[in-house]
Amino acid sequence: MNRTADMVIIGGGVNGVACAYYLARRGMKNIVLFEKGYLGYGATGRCGGGIRQQWGMDENIILARDSVRMFEKLSHELGFNIFFRQGGYLILISDERDYDLISKTIPRQNELGVPAELLEPKDIASLVPGLNLKTIIAGAYCPTDGTAYPYAVLWGYAEAAKRRGVDIRLHTEVLIISRKSGGTYEVTTTNGTVHTPRILNVAGAATRNTASMLGIVIPTKPYRHEIAVSEPLKSFLDPMVISIRKGFYFSQSLRGEIVGGIGDPDEPSSSSTASSPEFLFRYAEALRKTFPALGKVRIIRQWAGLYDVSPDARPIIGTVDGVDGYYHACGFSGHGFMLSPVVAKLLSELITTGKTSIPIDSLNLKRFSEPGLTRDPYVVG
Amino acid sequence: MGKTIICHCEDISIEELFSAVEQGYKDIESIKRYTGIATGTCQGKCCLIQTLRALASGDDRSSPKTASESAASTPLKGIAVKMPTIRQPVIPARIDRIIKAGEKAVKKATGKA
Repeated sequence: MNRTADMVIIGGGVNGVACAYYLARRGMKNIVLFEKGYLGYGATGRCGGGIRQQWGMDENIILARDSVRMFEKLSHELGFNIFFRQGGYLILISDERDYDLISKTIPRQNELGVPAELLEPKDIASLVPGLNLKTIIAGAYCPTDGTAYPYAVLWGYAEAAKRRGVDIRLHTEVLIISRKSGGTYEVTTTNGTVHTPRILNVAGAATRNTASMLGIVIPTKPYRHEIAVSEPLKSFLDPMVISIRKGFYFSQSLRGEIVGGIGDPDEPSSSSTASSPEFLFRYAEALRKTFPALGKVRIIRQWAGLYDVSPDARPIIGTVDGVDGYYHACGFSGHGFMLSPVVAKLLSELITTGKTSIPIDSLNLKRFSEPGLTRDPYVVG
Repeated sequence: MGKTIICHCEDISIEELFSAVEQGYKDIESIKRYTGIATGTCQGKCCLIQTLRALASGDDRSSPKTASESAASTPLKGIAVKMPTIRQPVIPARIDRIIKAGEKAVKKATGKA
């Protein structure tokens, strides 16, 4: 392969294939996407599939709200069932500090069009019978939050992108990127070289490494997060249940399995995706404590994926000063999948028109060279 | 003619396996997730070997082929017939048993210290 392209996308995760689709829909031709493994080999294929709009900062609330509006129509638009299910998200609150934060945030979420509400323990008990509410003082619930099957979202976007002419190259790793005179890039891969005026770098936890090929410094760090899945059970659980404080969550998939995970505050930064027994012990304990009847259920599999964590746990999206034709989106810190439809659409607007329909300037890489960082208190993990 | 079920946990036929390959899902990790084969309660203990054999032999089930022999056959041309990643637990483990094992591990660790 030795050719030219109008656009090179690095990364076959959900942001890469979705942006390829939206760019092709806007009429861009000659798009090539490189994925070093198979589609979803990175974080997308390893994520829990949760989609929530209950966030603390306006930017996250707005992006997540618009993503949900897109997820609602996505199976139809792509002609591919993404298994989107709006069973809601139930946030369990066990201390006064979280209660204050969440009860103050809900009115703002409502103003922005997110129908979250505060629940008393008796409301929680009727929403999810079987939960242990001994230490729970309240809950926050948003019925239009939900889950989707991450692989199906990925495949749906990829199939639709291919129908519009996008060239998706699997098992192809980007080795070198160099800038040529005349404003083009030479992208050398394990399967040949491509010349292009534009690059979109959406390689998950590896985005930082790809950016460094162009001298761009991205201050994100990879952290392992582990997930376990149970044997399938008859449907009994509608919402995704989470505890922000404990970094713990679980939901029931459409196949009936309980899928969940728990963060480890002591986990060091690493690119390991190995499974640990320590995670399984902690997860099992948290799950049985939260939902005692699940003690009898069997775990059939566990795995791990990487969160690409930025210093303020907010995404890094947009352009880089002085590097024309280069775009990136990374640092999603564990909530990349749920934001992907709107992020990919905004990137396609930015790339083709230089503007976005929702302002994303606050998410530019530049913010890390300015004083003061704001973290969204609703980040889990 | 009836269907040949290749994955009993998830009720998947050999025709569905070949259809996934024809649609372009050509490595075992993608085939597994697209069809659901080896993702049920047995985690591949019953179905994986049958799946790999079918991928190696293609439609011709009377004469199983090795991976290199199958490389030239259609519609499975270009398939790398190999094992997917195997992960713990090796057998399904009850949550209360996992908790007990965890407590035992902690006791052992603190007892030694």
